[in-house]
Amino acid sequence: MADTATAAPPRAGLSQSGPRRASPRARTLLPALALAGGVLLFAVFLSLSVGQQHVPLGTVWQALVSPGHAYDDTVVQSRIPRTLLGLLCGAALSVSGVVVQGLTRNPLGDPGLLGVNVGASATLVTGIAFFSAGTGQERVWLALPGAFAATAAVFALGSGRRGATPVRLVLAGAVITAVVGAYIQAVSLSYPQVFDDYRFWVVGSLAGRDASLVGQVLPYLVLGFALSAILPSSLNALALGDDTATALGAKVGRTRLIGGVAAALLCAGSTAAVGPISFVGLAVPHIVRSFTGADHRWLMPFSALVGPALLLLADVLGRVIAAPAEIEVGVITAFLGAPVLLLAVRRMRGRS
Amino acid sequence: MSAKPLGAGAAARPRPRPILRAGTWLAVPIARRATVVGGVLALALLAASLLTLTLGSLGIPLGQLAASIAHPDARAAFILNVYRGPRLVTAIGVGAAFGVAGALFQTVTRNPLGSPDVIGLSSGASAGAATFGLLLPGILPLPVGALLGSLAAIALVYFGTGRGFTSPSRMILVGIGVAAMALAYVQFVITAVSSQDAVVLGAYISGTLADRSWGDVAVVWITIAVLGPCALALARRLDLIEMGDELADALGGRSSRTRTLVVLTALGLSTAAVAAAGPISFVALTAPQVARRLARTPGASVTLSALMGAFMMVLADLLVQQSPFGSQLPVGLLTACIGGLYLGYLLVREWKKGTV
Repeated sequence: MADTATAAPPRAGLSQSGPRRASPRARTLLPALALAGGVLLFAVFLSLSVGQQHVPLGTVWQALVSPGHAYDDTVVQSRIPRTLLGLLCGAALSVSGVVVQGLTRNPLGDPGLLGVNVGASATLVTGIAFFSAGTGQERVWLALPGAFAATAAVFALGSGRRGATPVRLVLAGAVITAVVGAYIQAVSLSYPQVFDDYRFWVVGSLAGRDASLVGQVLPYLVLGFALSAILPSSLNALALGDDTATALGAKVGRTRLIGGVAAALLCAGSTAAVGPISFVGLAVPHIVRSFTGADHRWLMPFSALVGPALLLLADVLGRVIAAPAEIEVGVITAFLGAPVLLLAVRRMRGRS
Repeated sequence: MSAKPLGAGAAARPRPRPILRAGTWLAVPIARRATVVGGVLALALLAASLLTLTLGSLGIPLGQLAASIAHPDARAAFILNVYRGPRLVTAIGVGAAFGVAGALFQTVTRNPLGSPDVIGLSSGASAGAATFGLLLPGILPLPVGALLGSLAAIALVYFGTGRGFTSPSRMILVGIGVAAMALAYVQFVITAVSSQDAVVLGAYISGTLADRSWGDVAVVWITIAVLGPCALALARRLDLIEMGDELADALGGRSSRTRTLVVLTALGLSTAAVAAAGPISFVALTAPQVARRLARTPGASVTLSALMGAFMMVLADLLVQQSPFGSQLPVGLLTACIGGLYLGYLLVREWKKGTV
């Protein structure tokens, strides 16, 4: 069963990269999953340990299991919110990337494609400009409705009488992004104060976030993860094309709806919390696909582990390379993700 | 993304076209409808240009325009030489350059969404401008940075594909990667500079025609003078490529070489346009398509795309100058908005026909 699902999907573009391998089996993938979990754990510890004030890994462990009153404990405590956010948002972005790429059958699919980022930015900018809202906590509540509204608009525009198709969704995403993006720029450039605020949010960063943010976005993310968890088999069917999927008994429309809601919840929650972070949703599924194959039942759990590991390591890297200053994690992920894309393209065979 | 050839669905021609001949070496078929559309576009461009110079409190009344251009007084000289003249001439050149570049890109990639943006050129220009804004605030003009940035992005794409410019699909994919890196870098710079510089930079990277000088005019028009004829010469070989590489090669089209030359020409034109006005979006994308639909030509016509691009640019800038936001609002925002709506219209129309 796993074999046919992995080998069958005729996919365009990137996924044709590399030599065709026989489907990896569970007995090689399960240890790999454990390994990915180990890497993630290591990333968590690094995230708690590295920074302006370095705390040895052993001390981090002590601070976590038996917090005393040492200075190191305080440092570790102060890094817990951003580590938690990195974990949650990394997983959310990469899982929503898997869902969006599966739904649109587009290997270049990114959650941003569904308009989530511009939607969140638009309501945020509007709120700051016209209602002088938007310090700290209010941002989440400003960003969320916009993210959902834009996703709904993309789906509405992308669904004709016969339902959403991959091409329509991609085009609809481009339309919404262009129009709403112009609005964001026009407003923010007309109000320098808004621009000043917006430019720090839009770059995407885990730094300086309040611990209470985690609680605020957690419900959205948990619901998004739960919906995503029921999707893998349907996404496998969808990869065969609408007609074949329908013939096999898959409910194409329902899958698209659930998938769209799940991706919107995950991506909106994470964008509201830490700003738009590019390339995690695009690159992680590609990295993972290179060793799991196209079976979503493996792709999704692996992505949920690799995504946060990548995001946390990128965040650590951003603290290290510009020390004592920091480079925002959104910048680092783009610079890590783009070469992955380049490598994948270079490995492509043929012209089309 | 569908890779539908531009000419798909074009009906067979009902009757033979008249052909313009000069000796044995030149034989240009003349499409009647395309000629009419071209004439109308040229008139529309002229009208929009006149409005740009005459409207508003700073405009020169239409009756005095000819006299003012011949013998300008101090006020007319200021408006014509500094305030609106260079801006208008830049707009025409930039629009034409983007239109031609778009027509070439869309034909060569066989993708109606092909434009300088998708291969990372615009984002590279933004990154270059941002670097200059960061390192040398206020010393060197942003356009120089934009020029260097787009050249760097082109080089990255060229070497990133591993095959130069011969494979359109790879170009687009690598371009997306380069664009993502460049934009992340731009956002980083925008957080790193002072808030005043950030606003200037933010406006520039949206694409703006505010405060253009005759230097900008020279950049874009010299490029057009050099590369425009190349584009016209290459356009006919492109018609062959549209039929497919194998067929084109068999007919002597030398598809790989043609493709590289066409991409280089398109890159040159859009780089000059970006250097003159910043990365203005959607003109390169929409101008060839609107022109093609109006003229009902099978492929994107270079001349019509140039006229259409110039008209769109001048019209957009006219609207921006007369808008309540004022003439400093980046014209790129308006083109992005209109381009986005046009995409939406296409989408709705396509799903009504049930073809997407």
